[in-house]
Amino acid sequence: MASITTWLESIRQDKASMIQWAAAVGVVLFAVSTPGFLSATSIRSLLTTVSFIGCVAVGMTFITLSGNIMSFSIGASMSATTVVFMMSLTLGLTPALILAFLFCAALNGIQGWLIGFFRANPLIISMAAYALIIGGAIYITGGRGIYPLTDETEVLKANLGPVPGPLAAFLIAVIVGQCILSFTRFGRNIYLVGTNPRAAKAAGIEPWRTVMWAYVAAGLFTAVSAVLVAARYRSGDMEHGIGYEYRAISAVLVGGTAIQGGEGSVVRTLAGTFFIALMQGLLILRGFGIEMQYLLIGLIVLAVIMLQWKGRT
Amino acid sequence: MSVSLGSQTIETVANVTVSGQMLLCDPILSVRGLSKSFGPVTALKQVSLDVYPGEIRAVCGENGAGKSTLVNILAGIDRPDAGAICFDGKICTLPSSTEAQRLGIAMVAQELSVCPDLSVLDNIWLGSMDVPFLHRRKELRRRAYEALSLLGAEHIALDTRVGRLTIGERQLVEIARMLTRNARVFILDEPTATLSDSEIDRIFVALARIRREGRSIVYVTHRLAEVFRICDSVTVLRNGEMVGTSKTTDIDRKKLIEMMLGRPFVEMYPEHGYVAGETILQIENLSIPGAVSNFSARVTRGDIVYIAGQVGSGAEGVIRTVAGLVYNATGSVQVNGKALHLGSADEAFHHNISFVSGDRAEEGIFRTLSVTDNLVAARLRELSRFGILNPISLRSEAIRLAVRVGVDQQRLRSRADNLSGGNQQKLAFGRCLGATQAGVIVLIEPTRGIDIGARAEIYQLMRQFCSQGYGLLVASTDLEEVVGVGDVVITMYRSRQVGYYRGKEINMQHIIADITHPLH
Repeated sequence: MASITTWLESIRQDKASMIQWAAAVGVVLFAVSTPGFLSATSIRSLLTTVSFIGCVAVGMTFITLSGNIMSFSIGASMSATTVVFMMSLTLGLTPALILAFLFCAALNGIQGWLIGFFRANPLIISMAAYALIIGGAIYITGGRGIYPLTDETEVLKANLGPVPGPLAAFLIAVIVGQCILSFTRFGRNIYLVGTNPRAAKAAGIEPWRTVMWAYVAAGLFTAVSAVLVAARYRSGDMEHGIGYEYRAISAVLVGGTAIQGGEGSVVRTLAGTFFIALMQGLLILRGFGIEMQYLLIGLIVLAVIMLQWKGRT
Repeated sequence: MSVSLGSQTIETVANVTVSGQMLLCDPILSVRGLSKSFGPVTALKQVSLDVYPGEIRAVCGENGAGKSTLVNILAGIDRPDAGAICFDGKICTLPSSTEAQRLGIAMVAQELSVCPDLSVLDNIWLGSMDVPFLHRRKELRRRAYEALSLLGAEHIALDTRVGRLTIGERQLVEIARMLTRNARVFILDEPTATLSDSEIDRIFVALARIRREGRSIVYVTHRLAEVFRICDSVTVLRNGEMVGTSKTTDIDRKKLIEMMLGRPFVEMYPEHGYVAGETILQIENLSIPGAVSNFSARVTRGDIVYIAGQVGSGAEGVIRTVAGLVYNATGSVQVNGKALHLGSADEAFHHNISFVSGDRAEEGIFRTLSVTDNLVAARLRELSRFGILNPISLRSEAIRLAVRVGVDQQRLRSRADNLSGGNQQKLAFGRCLGATQAGVIVLIEPTRGIDIGARAEIYQLMRQFCSQGYGLLVASTDLEEVVGVGDVVITMYRSRQVGYYRGKEINMQHIIADITHPLH
């Protein structure tokens, strides 16, 4: 009981989290009052679609926490991973999965190394990587999707009891991601480097190594989403990941992870992901078009950035 | 109390020129009750000051006394929390440096503010409101040349890129920039720190000319010799408070130092140690291109070795090299007899060298993380197994370190930026402890921006570390601290090593002479 009181008190003290709780309550009221929302099918489909973005957002959280703002290329590397996964299915499912994860980890790890070692601007590097990945992929595939002849990927579409498969994967990703951040030396180093890379260096931590591994982690979480999406649509296509980087960073920021790095968590990203997805789902159910969804996400992200900025000064 | 324009002004100027007296006229610049805080740090408390036409006013004080804050307010860069500024008899607010310039206040800032990619000419006219929309190139060139030749710097071509000039020449360009402004009060914040003696002489000629023209100068310096050489009066600040103002003819060097320090040494500084243990750090022929040449030193366990020098003397470079943060250093550094490969912070860390930066916000603490995270940041390897942190030993280690450096255990979970400067510095100190064996701690300006009470605690901590067998190497510009705390003092002047003093040989006069105008 005492802990609940102190918890409420800490919320009352912290203006930003008060706004977050208010927003959460508002969304729940909005949801309950929307006809059709509480039906099992609409909740299921919402939870499934949100999970693909969610896994990428978990990866993006690592990048943001390490002090590198965001990666523009994470959607493209997800698309490229679906292509690699589908192309290598001829080797069998397990080798294809291993290849897909290695590919996505390497793709992001190289960017992380460039950013960490040469102190390159993370946004510029990821923009260059975006163009290189898209260009390279279209060069190899000729711009066509990859449609495998086997149906081995059906196994990835299985559900975990009543829980949709993608949602289970997302929740596991959140748990794993949060455990890495909270309980490992690597996780602690991400916070230290994200807060103050020069102080981290003076404390015997090599910032470039931490940054590189943060990107590798981001690549691995993105690969989870890539194989699930590929299995769902039974294709590898450069279109699959379009817009994922934007939606992922929105989820990270709305969750309350600081854009300048060093503050935030994967659990917060989980909340941010669900918040955005809920808002989108509700707008659809209430009959608003795609333009309203875009406008709303834009406004929310803008509001969050302004609040963060205000909190700092 | 207004000095009206026209005949009266000229008359006043004449008075000043003829008699050298300043009290015949009203002050051009008056300040009353000026206060300013930066977050929890009070930089200025109720400071009042009058500057008269044709006067050169020195502003003296230790580091952190509030000198720069005061002149930044006068130049419209910072805004005061309270107090009034009166320029030429009219109360003004100085909301921006443009407004200050419009009134007739020009400033040379402590940190160089030239644009290295622009030409000398462009830099001189940068930010000037005299420059019309269409450049009158010929006239501007002529006036810029005049300003430079007044400083005896005709050799600096107007079209050279400023990035190609030496630091001293850049400083001259900044002073020339100030001279071209049609100002009535000139502010110089430690303008001579990067200049050679002959350059300083020429600047003084220019300043004397400004004084003859009846214009005023506020001259911030910590070189006491300059106060007596060029200034008419001196205002002393200490910890943001005004100690007093005096004519330079009414005061001597000793009295001025007393005013700046304001308290006996014994209160502040712990007993010297003189443990004289084995050598723990040996530096030989350390050089950094453009910053340090052939520096050698030896630190024994239990010693606090200070490297004293002004900003830019190279003392910081030595410290950063030992900490593994300088990539182009040459020479040999040995820790416990083992050679240190220079240029790797990781390597320095594994040789048991810890680094406490003078720049807490940028390099010292992790502002948004907790006190615990800050204390154990360098110990994570020992506190984890297979990469997994052990929360119990992490917590007990944080408590142990907090007790050792005197940070309240109740605050282990609060964010580091909620702590005072002194407590933040203790976190940085705590991070150096805890290795199984006492090693080397290198520090830059360990008490920069820390108030008096906390300072004494920091000095006590440094002495404690020594008695536990650590060896400390410290770079500092705070001479009082150097004399009060150092067991060995090495002086540096413009990247050269000048003097070496030990124990009883350490004295303020020698050190000041060494770091300002060395004889050899």
